[in-house]
Amino acid sequence: MEELRVLVPYILRGLSVTLEVTGVALGIGLFFGAILAILRVYGGDILSRILTVYTSILRALPHILLLLVIYFLIARIVNLSPFWAGSLSLGIISSAYQAEIIRGAILAVPRGQMMAARSIGMPRFKAILKVILPQAFRHAIPPWSNEAAIVIKDSSLVYVLGVPEILRQAQYYSAREYQPFLAYVTVAVIYFLLTFTTNRGLDALEKRIRIPGF
Amino acid sequence: MDLWTYLQIALPRIWGGLIITFQVSGVCLLIGLLIGFPAALARVYGPKWLRWLVTGYIEIIRGTPVLVQLFLIYYGLPQFGITLSAYMSAYIAIGMNSGAYQAEYFRGAIQAISGGQMMAARSIGMTPLQAIRHVIIPQAFRFAIPAWSNEVVAMIKISSIVYLIAVPEMLYIAKELMAKYYNPFQTYFTVGAVYLIIIGILTILLNRLEQALVIPGMDVAKRGG
Amino acid sequence: MPQTKKEIVKVEDLHKRYGKEEVLRGISMEVDEGEVVILVGPSGTGKSTLLRCINQLTRPDSKKVWVNGIDLTNPKTDIDKARQHIGMVFQDFNLFNHLTALDNVMLGLTQVLNMDKETARQKAMAELDRVGLCNKFMNYPGQLSGGQKQRVAIARSLAMEPIVMLFDEPTSALDPELIGEVLVVMKDLAMAGMTMICVTHEIGFARDVSTRIVFMEHGDIVEQGTPKKMLSNPDLPRTKQFLGKISDLH
Repeated sequence: MEELRVLVPYILRGLSVTLEVTGVALGIGLFFGAILAILRVYGGDILSRILTVYTSILRALPHILLLLVIYFLIARIVNLSPFWAGSLSLGIISSAYQAEIIRGAILAVPRGQMMAARSIGMPRFKAILKVILPQAFRHAIPPWSNEAAIVIKDSSLVYVLGVPEILRQAQYYSAREYQPFLAYVTVAVIYFLLTFTTNRGLDALEKRIRIPGF
Repeated sequence: MDLWTYLQIALPRIWGGLIITFQVSGVCLLIGLLIGFPAALARVYGPKWLRWLVTGYIEIIRGTPVLVQLFLIYYGLPQFGITLSAYMSAYIAIGMNSGAYQAEYFRGAIQAISGGQMMAARSIGMTPLQAIRHVIIPQAFRFAIPAWSNEVVAMIKISSIVYLIAVPEMLYIAKELMAKYYNPFQTYFTVGAVYLIIIGILTILLNRLEQALVIPGMDVAKRGG
Repeated sequence: MPQTKKEIVKVEDLHKRYGKEEVLRGISMEVDEGEVVILVGPSGTGKSTLLRCINQLTRPDSKKVWVNGIDLTNPKTDIDKARQHIGMVFQDFNLFNHLTALDNVMLGLTQVLNMDKETARQKAMAELDRVGLCNKFMNYPGQLSGGQKQRVAIARSLAMEPIVMLFDEPTSALDPELIGEVLVVMKDLAMAGMTMICVTHEIGFARDVSTRIVFMEHGDIVEQGTPKKMLSNPDLPRTKQFLGKISDLH
């Protein structure tokens, strides 16, 4: 259709923003999520409980509410662009879920692995780095693949902050050209392709680094 | 104004929003169940073309944001002359969304039970249909309860996006209050607290239900948070 | 002239409690250089716990553990450094699943002893050869049989050049036909003069190789003595009863 030739490029202009928001959010989520997870597993009782409350609250609230709250809180203190406020918020939210994923992956590594590492004189930190995490990494890939898809989809929420990602583009377009259905279908297709390739890609990665015989 | 006075004004209105939140979540959950369970059965026991169709539906829904699905129905359909109210759009979009996820939980439950139980049922002379009806389905339901209670919590969270199409659930009420009283901090804090309390209570109730009903030693993968 | 044997491990009045259960009730013991001590007894009587207290993988509630003269129960002691000289072999092998056999043996050398890769590699291959597995060096644990896994585990500990080796039921998780290959390695080790403390049910091994058998029950040492004495003519009837039973089975 004629429409598509105008519509698709217009919407695709927001694609780089969508990818950037997703990338930043996943990155922040991974970094803080890993720290949270390691602290929860190895950090002792009190710290573990405090962090559990923290992550539970983040996972109990609607994402869009958290987005608005964090944006508002940050806008009061620091002048961040909507892009950074949105990405940061999604990153903080994702870190709570990723913490759970990474924690589960670490706990899936048999207890004996730590014992064996300590028994040859390895300090705890090194054992975590060289023995536990490499194995936990492999356990974490399937649920992380799921989380990556979720963040890709959540990036659509930042449109409420005015970030010019693909959903925003679709809205602008349908306001002007009165082809809302086509616009939203296009956006849906783009999201689908993004989540599809991400899942397939991570599946392939999982197969490649699979430990033989395990 | 101070928090206490504000709460006295705001809470009754937030309560109204909470009712709508429950209403939307509840209806969507139900629609999701009515779509999801048959879809799961179709994926496990259906003919190839049906399995293919259902899997396609599930993959597409799970691969796209629920917000886009909502807008597609609310803003997109009028282009073809189908204009639905905000409520109806919400029910259909989010209901279908939930249906896809519920289909996966039930599929997991059915597949986990199916092998051995089906063999046992057939070996005493039951037809496949009888087996499904009397042996598989009752167990599948109870097997999927932990995952399903996760979906209940997820629905409460997701239902908040309908504020964008002016359905007066909690977040919408919050926005109205903020517009009137210029106190985002207090409002968000209050609404956030209400969400936490509700979800906390729900989680406890659902856990009790789980313990009363569930078959010990079994669990199915959940939505992802 | 009498040679004073060097005391490698000394354990003094060890107590350990798990909840209500007291698993070690004041165990005291000394092991000299070159001794091969076998701990036997019914399951759950604290034998494994005692072993893990020696290298502090389990911290005892009270009193002391010395290895090579160093007090390991002293919080100031660098326990990681001490563990470099104590080897431990586990019932479940606990090989590092994400590494090949060679890498398993090398990891301690490169990461703990800070050896350069090439030296570590050569030493690791030598140790694998010692346990008869140099042809399996690039296999992952998941690709090895139980007996092979345990031998790699032994090589891993030996590479660190320990002064004492602790074996925690090393053959209990193995199929009967695979037990032999592990016992052969352990026997060679004993013959070469390694100080060993083993928790095991393998009475044949105890009879042939050990210098002392210690019978434990309910967290206490019931009786200990040379294999000859313990197996044919122990002081206490309970000892005779227990050792007789497992002697019959093996």
